[in-house]
Amino acid sequence: MQTLRALDPGTTVVMASVDAQNIPSCCRAIAVASSDGGATITVYVPLATSHDVLRNIATTKRVAITVTEPLTHTSTQLKGTTLDVRLAREDEAAFVRARRDAIAETLDAIGVPRRVTQNVTCWPAFAVTARVDAIFDQTPGPNAGAPLR
Amino acid sequence: MSARMRMADLARCFQGVLPSIIATSDARGTPNVAYLSQIYVIDERHVALSRQFFNKTSRNLDENPVACIEVGDPLTMQAYRMRLTFLRSETSGPLFDSMKVRIDAIASHTGMEGIFRLIAADVFEVQSIEMVDGFLEQPPADVPNASLDGRRTEVRGLQWVSDRINRAPDLESLLDVVLQALDEYFHFAHTSVLLMDDARERLVTMASRGYGQSGIGAEVPIGQGLIGTVARDRRLLHVTSLDSDLRYGRAIRREAARRPMAGTLDAEIPLPGLCDAQSFLAIPLVVGDRLIGVIAAEDPDPLRFGEWHEAYLEIVANQIALVMDRMIERCNEPADKAPAPVVDRGSTAGSQAAPNPRRRLRLTYYAHDEAVFAGDEYLIRNIPARILWKVLTESTRTGRTEFTNRELRMDESLGLPPVKDNLESRLILLRKRLREKCPDLQIVPTARGRFALRADAALELVQR
Repeated sequence: MQTLRALDPGTTVVMASVDAQNIPSCCRAIAVASSDGGATITVYVPLATSHDVLRNIATTKRVAITVTEPLTHTSTQLKGTTLDVRLAREDEAAFVRARRDAIAETLDAIGVPRRVTQNVTCWPAFAVTARVDAIFDQTPGPNAGAPLR
Repeated sequence: MSARMRMADLARCFQGVLPSIIATSDARGTPNVAYLSQIYVIDERHVALSRQFFNKTSRNLDENPVACIEVGDPLTMQAYRMRLTFLRSETSGPLFDSMKVRIDAIASHTGMEGIFRLIAADVFEVQSIEMVDGFLEQPPADVPNASLDGRRTEVRGLQWVSDRINRAPDLESLLDVVLQALDEYFHFAHTSVLLMDDARERLVTMASRGYGQSGIGAEVPIGQGLIGTVARDRRLLHVTSLDSDLRYGRAIRREAARRPMAGTLDAEIPLPGLCDAQSFLAIPLVVGDRLIGVIAAEDPDPLRFGEWHEAYLEIVANQIALVMDRMIERCNEPADKAPAPVVDRGSTAGSQAAPNPRRRLRLTYYAHDEAVFAGDEYLIRNIPARILWKVLTESTRTGRTEFTNRELRMDESLGLPPVKDNLESRLILLRKRLREKCPDLQIVPTARGRFALRADAALELVQR
């Protein structure tokens, strides 16, 4: 249940990768989607801010994605192996922008003005598709790190 | 190419308003990404991160001591990336204590004491800081830099506050002067001063400013909630994004409640003051190793209090604590022999006229609860209630209206502690409660160590 909720609008998404020397990089993503019930996911990261993360993926393919509900801090981390990286298609732009606006709506409710969040670059974007190898509960607390799948 | 930055340029990012993220990797090259609770700036080259649980991030750092963190400016959302090398974990010492007080306060406030706690302060060397180019679609609008204006105001304000607190004639005036100064010079619009009641191990609210309900007489047990934690640890506490921190604490509480240790959770205590507070700043008033009290300020703006406010308040608080301590000591000296003119503080206090016979005031003392009610309204309890009842019954029995602090100290039935009895602060509390809840009855200081009872209604005393 928690895993599926991670795909809902209004969640924040962050992504990490490592280079060949195991040096990590991270960036904020805009959206996450799955067309097969969570077996694979596609993460949309802005082209402008994801250079390091994508350079690492080209080498090691390993990724970590954490999806969080800002109001409750409920967080899920997915560990995976990259299957494909491509420039997001124009027909995906509306979805990505809608997710950015949903995040803005959520953050506005906790004091970050909507106009500020809507200034965050979301397009053009890369679509990173990864096979989900493991899922962990990342909600702060004693259960953080417990496997969900 | 991203622009290189200095730590000082990122001050707002470390206030905790926007959650920061941290990426680490284990020795096999599996990345991990998580949100951070607290980033503490040690100096231009070092930061410390709070470790509340032994988690994957911790294990990764032990295996592979490098990390990448991304922080965000809460006013513009502009992101910055920092590359860090993990140096060591500190589990005691000044850095650990400074970070611990904030986590303890949130834990106590959400009933998570002992479960949500600082395990270590992880110290990192900062290898690089870069602004993330292209993070925003439009360059951010200029935001005011409060620090320059703040520093100018700080020096002037310090001079003004020093002068005023040194000229305050008594403890009651001093309490009001302090809050007035914070409001007028630093626009701290919602403040309170609580004094320590050693005998009961509680703080008692003695003065407040900027609240609909003054909260005078409200008590905070030592170690409970934000203010109680400041009193216990005797360390300044600055919490920004209070709502976010409390949500974070509540998330942990919710998770912990699913485990067998749920039975150890305490009830959450309500936050005193503003219902929409986002920033909170509290500073202990300490002389030597003795806690005198706590000054607390809060605000709906999550960025209301800056770093310079903390430094400024530390200096002011030291001065206030010394002056308060001196005044409390002076109150223990023998009373003046010749009563001075009555000090009129407004309302009906100081009135020498005979009681208005058409107004009746029923006062009830509930001995079991040690509480006095005026009509049907709660007035005061504990030692101030016993003092009031003694004065009222004595006045009714003998017709006396003048009393001395000395005779109260000699009366063992009042239960004043033999040393550090805080009698003056108890009388201030009683006077303020009477002014708020029962203006027809006043306790008016007439000289040092002396006071008079003034009633503007016919009194009916009932003991139950």
